[in-house]
Amino acid sequence: MVRAYVMVKAHSGDAERLRDEILDVDGVEDAYIVAGDVDFIATVSVDETADVKAVSATHIQSLDGIEDTQTYVAMD
Amino acid sequence: MRFVIVGAGRVGLRTARALEDSGHAVVLIERDPTKVDRAKAEGYDVIEGDASDETVLLSADLHDANALGALTGDLSTNFVACMVAKHHGCRTVLRIDEEYREEIYRKYASDVDEVIYPERLGAIVAKNALLGGNIRAVADIAQNLQLVELTVTNDSPMRGYTLSELELPANTELLAFGKKGDALTIPDDDVSMEVGDSLAILADFEKLADVRQLVVGEAVAARGGA
Repeated sequence: MVRAYVMVKAHSGDAERLRDEILDVDGVEDAYIVAGDVDFIATVSVDETADVKAVSATHIQSLDGIEDTQTYVAMD
Repeated sequence: MRFVIVGAGRVGLRTARALEDSGHAVVLIERDPTKVDRAKAEGYDVIEGDASDETVLLSADLHDANALGALTGDLSTNFVACMVAKHHGCRTVLRIDEEYREEIYRKYASDVDEVIYPERLGAIVAKNALLGGNIRAVADIAQNLQLVELTVTNDSPMRGYTLSELELPANTELLAFGKKGDALTIPDDDVSMEVGDSLAILADFEKLADVRQLVVGEAVAARGGA
């Protein structure tokens, strides 16, 4: 099991919809609207490290209104 | 009143100046030594330090301040400063860095009383300058409500009529009137509208074109928003 934290920067004010769509992505455990340089932080839990990339780069980034993601894989 | 302004950059320093000009006491918090020196040279009371550090904020006597304006370019610093200030009973004003965030912070940032996006006001000023002439957008009051200042021209259908004869469309309201060259005051029904007089009107975006046609006399459709 691999856990990762994905920082998500949006370019839309439609925070609730985006949070719900992030939550709907397979592998996403939780997603919070946060204050600061990024707009959401999602926690991801998947089987393998390679799956993390699919969740953040492929699925979350392709949502309408998402500008960028930064992913941090937990090591311990 | 007494205010704490976080950030002595373009926005913070101007805000401090405007508050002091109105007779209020202001203390600035700034972490960049160059900006600290500049603000001090201009006579401001400045605390050097990072406003996302609570001890720095507390040294500005927050409990004694009416409000805190978090006006740096750093959203995280601004947000933390507002949270701490709210805890100490201040009214809080947060500057955001991107327009789409306005809605998010209005809705979710419970420690923030007001959200401002200075570029929006800059855009209104630029738009007025570009349009020139007889209609000036003063502010967007709500999503569909704009405060405009209009000037009566030779082409105005209402020229020569009194304010009591002015029949504005629904969802619009005359707030103030000023004779040419004078300051705006509360409208007096018996005063007549002559070329160069100003009317401050609150109007729904959809009615702006009608209002403009009536007061200014231009057939050009007015476009709402900045």
